[in-house]
Amino acid sequence: MNIKQFIQRIFGSKKQKPASAGMPAGQSEKMQKMMAMLSNTREVELTCDDVFALLDQFTELAAQGEDVRKLMPLVQQHLDMCEDCREEYRVLESILNGTA
Amino acid sequence: MDKRTNEEWVADLRAGGDRQALALEDLRAIILRGLPYAIAGRLNPNSPESEALTEEVVQETLMRVLEYLDTFEGRSQFTTWAHKIAVRAALTELRRVRWREVPLPEMEMNEDADTSYRELPDEQANPEEQLSRTEMMSRVNQIIMEELTEKQRKALMAIMEGFPLEEAAQRMGTNRNALYKMLHDARLRLKKRLEKEGLTPQEILAVFEQAGK
Repeated sequence: MNIKQFIQRIFGSKKQKPASAGMPAGQSEKMQKMMAMLSNTREVELTCDDVFALLDQFTELAAQGEDVRKLMPLVQQHLDMCEDCREEYRVLESILNGTA
Repeated sequence: MDKRTNEEWVADLRAGGDRQALALEDLRAIILRGLPYAIAGRLNPNSPESEALTEEVVQETLMRVLEYLDTFEGRSQFTTWAHKIAVRAALTELRRVRWREVPLPEMEMNEDADTSYRELPDEQANPEEQLSRTEMMSRVNQIIMEELTEKQRKALMAIMEGFPLEEAAQRMGTNRNALYKMLHDARLRLKKRLEKEGLTPQEILAVFEQAGK
């Protein structure tokens, strides 16, 4: 696959509807998503397993109103990056809020 | 009875016999109260699929709780720890069901498959802005092609298209943790290369944010 094809696959093809400012729909959003990910990338990050080990503690602290972004910044950073872990966090959070 | 302390939960679950059976029964009831939060919005809660999934997840969770009991460090309520295991099991299965029909994006290797990329539709953009976005996109993609392995590009493409990490990992013959590490390495490589070229993600972001206005 050449660069052109890769661009089309990852940022959308010309067949898509144009976005408001002239980019094909989805291209500019995907580029923004990727750049936001790169911007939030750190030299050292926790993995999904690391976060899973801490998620119960993190969620309880958050449910108690603690500033988890300050207390456990690496967990928060991973949750900002990882949709799977963030989804699990949100469900666990809703369980604690619903049953606490 | 679910008012046990953490220590009581661990002791009861280790006890064996009727004491363990009672603790498992109580834990089962607790997990059952939490699972609707995982299923909500993802599966019809009254469907047979939901019932089957619930039973499967409860069984799996109880087995895992017993298997990993020694790893519980008491940093949270025992029940939160158990819910965490149930949530992971439930969402893993729900993702599998949700994405099973969706193929992982494949990369075509035909160099001449489409020569029309330059003809991006552009009815409203300022030509200079459009040019700079198109050039920026080409530059970023050039960097992606040069810096990342085929596997990293495939993983990146899957994530950009909304694939859960778990599902993408399974299709690529790896696991979620390893795939996250691979993507982290890919992100770091891209970020460093952009820096080397005098670009920051924020600057590129700014060029594309204008496109959405």
